[in-house]
Amino acid sequence: MRLLIVEDDPELGRRLSERLRAADFAVELARNRSEAEDWPDVARMAAVILDLGLPDGSGLDLLRQWRDQRLETPILILTARGSWQDKVEGLNAGADDFVVKPVRFEELLARLNALFRRQQGTRVSTIAAGDLALDPLARTATLAGAPLMLSKQEFRLLHLFLRRTGQVLSQTDILDDLYALGDERETNTVEVLISRLRRKIGRERITTLRGLGYRFAR
Amino acid sequence: MRWPVPASLRLRFLLAVSLWVMLGIVAIWFSAVGIFSKHVEQSYHEELEVHVRELGELTEIAPNGAIILTRPLSDPRYAEPLSGFYWQVTAQGREPLRSRSMTRGSLDESIAHSPEILHRLESGPTGPAITYGYTRKGRAGEDIHFVIATDQSELDRLIGSFTRDLTSWLAVLTALLLATGFAIISFGLKPLDRLSLAFARLRHGEAEELEGQYPAEIAPLSADLNAYIHQNEAMVARARVQAGNLAHSLRTPLAIIMDEAERLATRDDCRGAGLVLLNQAGAMEQQIQYQLARARSAAGSKPSGRGVALPAVALPILRAMERLHPETRFTLKTAAGEDMSLPIDPVDYAEVLSILLDNAGKWARHEVTLTFACGPDGASTVTIADDGPGIPEGLIERAFAVGTRFDPDVAGSGLGLAIARDLCETMGIELTLRNDAEGLVATLRYAAANICAKGPQGGLGSRYWTR
Repeated sequence: MRLLIVEDDPELGRRLSERLRAADFAVELARNRSEAEDWPDVARMAAVILDLGLPDGSGLDLLRQWRDQRLETPILILTARGSWQDKVEGLNAGADDFVVKPVRFEELLARLNALFRRQQGTRVSTIAAGDLALDPLARTATLAGAPLMLSKQEFRLLHLFLRRTGQVLSQTDILDDLYALGDERETNTVEVLISRLRRKIGRERITTLRGLGYRFAR
Repeated sequence: MRWPVPASLRLRFLLAVSLWVMLGIVAIWFSAVGIFSKHVEQSYHEELEVHVRELGELTEIAPNGAIILTRPLSDPRYAEPLSGFYWQVTAQGREPLRSRSMTRGSLDESIAHSPEILHRLESGPTGPAITYGYTRKGRAGEDIHFVIATDQSELDRLIGSFTRDLTSWLAVLTALLLATGFAIISFGLKPLDRLSLAFARLRHGEAEELEGQYPAEIAPLSADLNAYIHQNEAMVARARVQAGNLAHSLRTPLAIIMDEAERLATRDDCRGAGLVLLNQAGAMEQQIQYQLARARSAAGSKPSGRGVALPAVALPILRAMERLHPETRFTLKTAAGEDMSLPIDPVDYAEVLSILLDNAGKWARHEVTLTFACGPDGASTVTIADDGPGIPEGLIERAFAVGTRFDPDVAGSGLGLAIARDLCETMGIELTLRNDAEGLVATLRYAAANICAKGPQGGLGSRYWTR
């Protein structure tokens, strides 16, 4: 899952990126408003973490602008402005959640996952398809109740498939979700990952559609 | 010795005007009566002197030696019996001649003992009389005494009549002057009454500044006060921004410290240090949040004069709550009219509502209801009710303590209710929590100024909003 962090403080931006990468997210970092405004594929992000006090403009204005452009990506405001006036303004401008700095990383992660769950229309943290279940917060996956041993990338790929069961995902879709823009990408990585995942969860669950991509059975 | 000074400006003016009018009227009375008496007496004396001279001119000694008048005196009152106007002519060895008015008694001729006209108060036929007299030599060289008298009571009656009339008219004039004075004072103080009403509107939050046009003497005061109000508002706004900026500038470094502490806490060799840092960073954040809220509430503690239309404040907060707690249904019931407004800081009131609605949203199973209503005593009552588990009775008061969190798994700082109560105390609002059959009910009660009695009120459910 790719996240865009819009944070002007370089140290905090770096640390957040590191922690979120460690939590199996592909993280992009924009250091100011104009960089975020020009980001090419915000709509494809799983979520945006947005600071309000940016050096070259208001994060709130950027949020309004995105929502005016019908951007539906979940946006979590992470700001040092902690008054309820700011919170109400931010939420009414289109934010899906509002978190005040400093925040424990576990809480931030929980709030992000709550956003993802909300987007999927579910209140439970575990995503399931048949006897396959994945808990993104606990970062565990089970098959028929037995724990699955997955690498980080395999876990991310399974998470993506479970979020979009029944949909055709192209190699680009998968790469975009697994890697940040600046990361090195190799097209055969997807094939290797799919192959490994099939071995662990059952070949029949992932169908290859030649020239189109892959589909995870509902 | 200090004279007691009346506290009321109106009373001061009234006393001053009354005193001045009374002094003036009394002075007029005394001087008018004095001048009139003097003038009347002088006229009387002149008249008597003329009459006594006329009496002398008209008196002759008849061939038979009798004293006669060649014709009656010009004033007919000397002919009316006991009219109070008398004359008498006497001469040695002759029958005295008296006016027809003097049907009894006589006049003392001793006043007429020299050719020069003399006068004094004598006893007359009908009481004390002003008596004029002089002597003239007759043909035989005898002294002829001419005496003329008028009753003193005539003069007294004239002066008395004038004094009564004067007193009546002056009494009427006094009443008119006092009434005019009161009217002028009322008219003159009217702008102060309007100023007082404008202050009341400001105090009750119905106006943001002193409204109205005032006379040149008061206009600068009104303008200065308005300038002060605006300056104060700007100062409060600046203080809030600065407090926010301070918190903002501290929170980002604190976030980095907390992140570093979390990393340290995951390492075996420095887990203890990491946990200490984490706890302290958490305490620092708590203090920043709490002290910032206190600073904001202290900045807003002076009456701002701005009123808060409650439903208007609540709607954006409810919309925000929908996004924050999407599984919970938020309902607004306005039982007290949409125009109900309180003379409190809207930012502080919105903060309190937000805290209570967020708390209710965190704990509610399905629904949170916000109700605006008027209590039987006219107090504005706002309730936030959820259908959550409530708080055990014995722990309700603890809920307001700084840092109290009943469930660490529910996100929060444990400061919300403490901040809400502080803000409420500043605004003069009573905040209470109670359990009911459905869940927890937070009540905000504003009793000052009987707000509910002011505007048009609707029945329960006059406005109903829900997502």
